[in-house]
Amino acid sequence: MIAYATNLATLIAINAILAITLNFIMGYAGIFSLAHALFFGVGAYTAAWIAMHVTGDFFLTVSAAALVASLLSLALALPALRVREVYFVAASLGLQVLGTTVFAEWKSVTGGIGGVIGIPPAELFGVPISDPYAFLALALACLSLVIAVTYALVRSSFGRSLTAIRDSESAAAAYGKNVALIKTLAVVVSSALCALGGALYAFYLSFINVESFGLDTSILLMAMVIIGGTGTVLGPIIGTVLLLLLPAGLSYLSFLPHTEIGSIQQMIYGLAMVVLMIFRPGGLVGARSLGERK
Amino acid sequence: MLTRSRALAGFAAAAIAAFAAAAASADDITIGADLPLSGPNAQYGDIFSQGANLAIADVNADHMLSKTLVMDYEDSQALPQPGVVAANKLVSVVRVPYMLSAFTSVSKAIAPVAERSKTVAVNGGGVGPDLAELGDYFWNVIPLANYEVRAMVPYLVSERKLKRFVLVYVDDPLGDAILKELQTELPKVGGELAGALKIPRDAEQFAGIAARAREAKPEVIYIASFGAQQSQIIKQFRDNGVSQLIVSYSGFDIPAIKQEPEAKGALYTSQRMDWESNDPVTKRFVTEFKAKYGKAPNYYAANYYNAVMLFAILAQGLEKKGEAITGENLLKERKAVGTFNLVGGKTEFQANGSVIMPMQINEVDGKDGHIVH
Amino acid sequence: MLFLQLLVNGIQVGALYALTAVGFSLIFGSTRIFHVAHGATFTLAGYVFYELYSVAGAPWIAALAAATAGAGIFGVLVDRFVYAPIQRHEGSFFTVFVASFGITIVVQNLVGTAFGRGFVSISSPLSRSVELAPGLYAPPTAAISVLAAVVCFVGLHFFLTRTHVGMALRALSENPDLVRVFGLDPRRLSSYAFALGSLLVVPGALLTGATAGLSPALGNHVMLISLAATIVGGVGSLRGAACGGLLLGLAENLALWQLDPQWSEAVTFVVLFLFIVFRPAGFFGRVATQ
Repeated sequence: MIAYATNLATLIAINAILAITLNFIMGYAGIFSLAHALFFGVGAYTAAWIAMHVTGDFFLTVSAAALVASLLSLALALPALRVREVYFVAASLGLQVLGTTVFAEWKSVTGGIGGVIGIPPAELFGVPISDPYAFLALALACLSLVIAVTYALVRSSFGRSLTAIRDSESAAAAYGKNVALIKTLAVVVSSALCALGGALYAFYLSFINVESFGLDTSILLMAMVIIGGTGTVLGPIIGTVLLLLLPAGLSYLSFLPHTEIGSIQQMIYGLAMVVLMIFRPGGLVGARSLGERK
Repeated sequence: MLTRSRALAGFAAAAIAAFAAAAASADDITIGADLPLSGPNAQYGDIFSQGANLAIADVNADHMLSKTLVMDYEDSQALPQPGVVAANKLVSVVRVPYMLSAFTSVSKAIAPVAERSKTVAVNGGGVGPDLAELGDYFWNVIPLANYEVRAMVPYLVSERKLKRFVLVYVDDPLGDAILKELQTELPKVGGELAGALKIPRDAEQFAGIAARAREAKPEVIYIASFGAQQSQIIKQFRDNGVSQLIVSYSGFDIPAIKQEPEAKGALYTSQRMDWESNDPVTKRFVTEFKAKYGKAPNYYAANYYNAVMLFAILAQGLEKKGEAITGENLLKERKAVGTFNLVGGKTEFQANGSVIMPMQINEVDGKDGHIVH
Repeated sequence: MLFLQLLVNGIQVGALYALTAVGFSLIFGSTRIFHVAHGATFTLAGYVFYELYSVAGAPWIAALAAATAGAGIFGVLVDRFVYAPIQRHEGSFFTVFVASFGITIVVQNLVGTAFGRGFVSISSPLSRSVELAPGLYAPPTAAISVLAAVVCFVGLHFFLTRTHVGMALRALSENPDLVRVFGLDPRRLSSYAFALGSLLVVPGALLTGATAGLSPALGNHVMLISLAATIVGGVGSLRGAACGGLLLGLAENLALWQLDPQWSEAVTFVVLFLFIVFRPAGFFGRVATQ
């Protein structure tokens, strides 16, 4: 029982990292990316590769993962600089689909559809972290780090510039803000921290494959951020907890047919998205309407 | 803010209470099943669980064990990640010594979980050859695909005089294994692999692939896919002028294909199961299956029946010796006993936890199919 | 010959993509609403037809009428009950997009629960190919697809240039505020746009159901293509969306000539990505980086 709760808690912590980093660009910078699962995947595959071929040292693998994800995120930053809204969403969609195909095809690194099996446990100062409780502690430590960094950035002048750009790009430019640099930095930071989540995931499951890094995951992450509340620190965490507990919770309602649990779960969060957008677009924790500061 | 956090705390508490309440009672022996209960491959999960459920009923009716045997079903959706989450739950929460598994990719993903926790995982549906290499705690009661290809190829080349093959396959471990088998086996009997066309697992349009397949001028088309996609490939190939013989492995053994008009005449391999046999175990299974489900049984159901029966036989042996029913002891018992009377006859385990069985070749005829070899 | 065959396949698929893309473009161009649920309209139309024709055995005309009505009504309902309330108090692009997405997810899963998550096919002898030349096969559905596309486009052109509603829709896409000044009701026009745009999915849905089969996830794929076609063709240009759809259908199939099938979908998105980065206005659109 405790072991199951630990398992769930670890998954929540990892997904919360993903949701918070997505919220950073969606809620604060107004960059609606559907490609977030890609950076999750890049982080996971990089960490896995390094752990299996070089060393399992946690700091090293995570740094490598973050580095690769940052470089790749420049591909996302490029359209982010040129276009907004529909166009950007479409571009991120294109990138996500392309990325999924690469993950499935590049067998030598990603194992293709079969995935990467037998990833060794992470090592912290030479000690392998294979105990589930120790790993949960590590995951929570990383989550705290991500929250701290995001909070600090949001409260800083960088964060203020971000929201200024989100609200009115031309005004921000008129004020002398280097829009391109700020947007690019936001995307890079978001992707690098997202890769941290990916590395944790790879170490935790000892197995990763392309299923976890596709469009469905990007959509789930987006749902977590929206339902929880964009533009707030608590919002993505609440969204993550709710959406991850939902399938587990549903499976205990015995009157629901077992085979339809997956569909029902999706219908619930689809419906939640619609209803929230009509009545409370800021999400559960967020502001009444999107523009309000919190 | 206060009301909201309280609500969230309440929700969390309720969730935890619900989890606690679901713990199994101590008067049962519980084993697990990590099968696709939802998603596009749920039809396989249905068939597998039919066999397993029948076995559970029989084990309990015969009082083979000191307590009632109970099965805890978890949903893998035929995907590796949910499969691992489900396996973790079975191993850590429900604490089963033995669990059923299905699908090559899911099995590969949960094998480390089984190995680390010394839980036995048994596969009765997936046929990827690397399933034999997943460690001591991963067993297979179904002969793997390399044997299937090795049965089909000589028959087609020698008996049917069809030498030119084109393979249409999904680029996953199973598809890759079949490709390798064809590449090694065909030259041995004088056949040739004229083309190998990779398709994405979620592809829906096959007109273009059909065109490329036609281009290679094959005499036989081997399809290595599974589930609903197989029916689509067959239909669209036939629609697009591919009239050659279509063959596949046991993945074709589902109602969707057996009833599909375009699939008439297709051939596929499967383990040899003589349903008319007088062997008592087989006879009982066939009779009861027909009575309970109103239709003839199939190999998948029989395999999962066997998987559960295997547990019962091993556990019974352990109980007689006064030993605990743990994964480790089950493994030792299996190695000690070696051969078991299961549906289909005497089944012998090899050292690597897989079985060899005779194969048969079936033809789709719109009804239940019939054996051609 | 393979090339020619792929060309024919590409035209068949491209015609259907063009229709669905024009539907999306009409809605987006007139109302500026990112109607992702257009894919759900496609799925619904297909399954309604399947249920009535293949399962219940109704005559195909009746099933066609039902599917068409269903598609149109669904589009208008979504507009009235989801988009309108959102636009009343806030209506940012993001909010509307998310709500539309939510609808797609709900519809996809409802259909999956009702009909199963695998494929269903609308059996019809029309999908069987005829060998036109050695190595060149084309089914009657190919001709029907092209014919349907041509008929619909001609009809649409007539509607947009000759009728009052049509001209009002064009005005709406160019200058919504001016439309209000002239006394026209943008809300009502919006419903027209949704009804009309949604109708256009019907030929595509039916013909896809007969050739490749329907599945709940099909709407997603169709939506992606419509979006890509609209952008590549140029937002605000229906002609562009149609050309975009045709182009993407051709690209998807011709890519098979040399590449593995997994890359043919990727090709579509590489094309889209390149357009967005280097020429967001597409072929025919007006520059719109806002």
